[in-house]
Amino acid sequence: MRLLYSELLKIRTAPRTTLGLVFGLLLLTGLGSASTAYDAESSPFAPQTASSDVIRVISIAPVFTLLLGILVVTWEYRHGTITQTFLAAPRRERVIGAKDAVSFVGGAVLALVALAVALLVASFWISLDLERGQWELAGRMVFAAAVWGVLGAGLGALMQSQVGAIVTAFVWFLVAEPLLGLTIEALTDAAISDYFPGSVIDRLQGSTTETIETGPGGIPTESEYAYGLWAAALLAAGYAAVFAVLGLVSALQRDVP
Amino acid sequence: MIEVDRLTKRYGKTVAVDDLSFNVTPGRITGFLGPNGAGKTTTLKAVLALIHPTSGTTRVLGTHYRELDDPARKVGAVLETSRYHPGRSGRNHLRVLAAQAGIPRQRVEEVLDLVAMKEPAKRRVGGYSLGMRQRLGLAAALLGEPQLLILDEPANGLDPAGIRWLRDLLRSVAHEGRTILVSSHVLAEIEQIADEVVIIHRGKFVAQSTTAELAARAAAGVRVRSPEADRLRELLFGQGMSAIVLEDGALGVTDGTPERVGELAAANNIVLHELVAERATLEEAFLELTAGETTE
Repeated sequence: MRLLYSELLKIRTAPRTTLGLVFGLLLLTGLGSASTAYDAESSPFAPQTASSDVIRVISIAPVFTLLLGILVVTWEYRHGTITQTFLAAPRRERVIGAKDAVSFVGGAVLALVALAVALLVASFWISLDLERGQWELAGRMVFAAAVWGVLGAGLGALMQSQVGAIVTAFVWFLVAEPLLGLTIEALTDAAISDYFPGSVIDRLQGSTTETIETGPGGIPTESEYAYGLWAAALLAAGYAAVFAVLGLVSALQRDVP
Repeated sequence: MIEVDRLTKRYGKTVAVDDLSFNVTPGRITGFLGPNGAGKTTTLKAVLALIHPTSGTTRVLGTHYRELDDPARKVGAVLETSRYHPGRSGRNHLRVLAAQAGIPRQRVEEVLDLVAMKEPAKRRVGGYSLGMRQRLGLAAALLGEPQLLILDEPANGLDPAGIRWLRDLLRSVAHEGRTILVSSHVLAEIEQIADEVVIIHRGKFVAQSTTAELAARAAAGVRVRSPEADRLRELLFGQGMSAIVLEDGALGVTDGTPERVGELAAANNIVLHELVAERATLEEAFLELTAGETTE
């Protein structure tokens, strides 16, 4: 409990970085939501579609929560405060566990705030029609953001280097995964790339049939997926769990510099 | 209080600490001395469970540091590498640590007072001087009112007034019956406050003795300057004292006291311009202590 509280305090008291992340996300969702709603105002489609589109604006949230998770762990290594943290709590698994938990909760909160902003901004132009389907979609978005927070914390603990972890994450999601996916598809015709983390998040954030243009990969995905939403949620959680474990092992094994 | 038993730590081919054993007795100030790179920080980090020893064990308060319940309330440590998030204020830094250890917030104000950092505490740590960082580190170590303090080079970055302040603080802390292990590469910094010293060199144990014994050993030199340096040197040799000519033309006399040198000069009507009992630096004391072992 103590460790959780102190982790929250750490995030709160490093204002520039935290505020930068939060405002970055809120600004983007605000703008995205405004433009979506503005377009939808004159569109003949059903208000539910417009509402879904507004919710889908926060599909960029995982990028930010991934960053948050990476930062929660790596800024301690970068600034050397990890020494004091491990002195106060020499059972490192508890520290890393607290960081994973805070990244999960923090990621969810960040996504919820972004969702609130998106809905609020959109309501200036259109009346939102939120039904069960929309709330489910929103829930999946928030879950994706929270899980990616844990993935970030795990990756951060694994690599310890802040720049290294951030670069690795972006290179994977923006370059390596799409390239690898294309290569594998060209060679084997198998849909293995659907199971890559970026695609899993796309799947989780998408609906069953629509063509969507989202995800940290930012790559339009037109094919239908080989698995359902629950499987996507499990896969996303699985990726996060694997990295959380790898990060924990790394934190336990390695000497503090 | 602290038991180091056959501790060895290798980084690749480099042996940072080599089969090192020593104990720190409770209720005293123990100096942990060695030149830069002797393995002091590595040893302290192993004691504090920050690094995994290659072999050997360390115990703090009878158990491994990792097994301590509430370590921040039992052991306070300032490491050379104590660093801070530059964007956080000094006060917030301490509040994070207090929260981690379950220490009430008003204690933060108490320790800020103790290290005279009340005023700068609201500013971002990024703008602190080295001395202020050291003070903040000490404040952090004192936060949990620990019975054992482990300080790695706490005087680094302090000006002379700061070093005096540090000494007074450590003395008063020791007076309350707490145990302090303080490392340094400069004997002069801690000889006035340490009851005992442990000396290491190249990761190996060299000596453990009371400070008085060590000071007696280190102060064996006499510096003497005279217009008749050559004649004085001959006379000193005649009395069984060895003297070398120093860079500025003065003589460095070993195995002699200022009294003997002064009397000898007076008896032979030699004018002296300078006569000083040299306090050797630790490095010089080392050369003596490690003579025969060092092969360079």
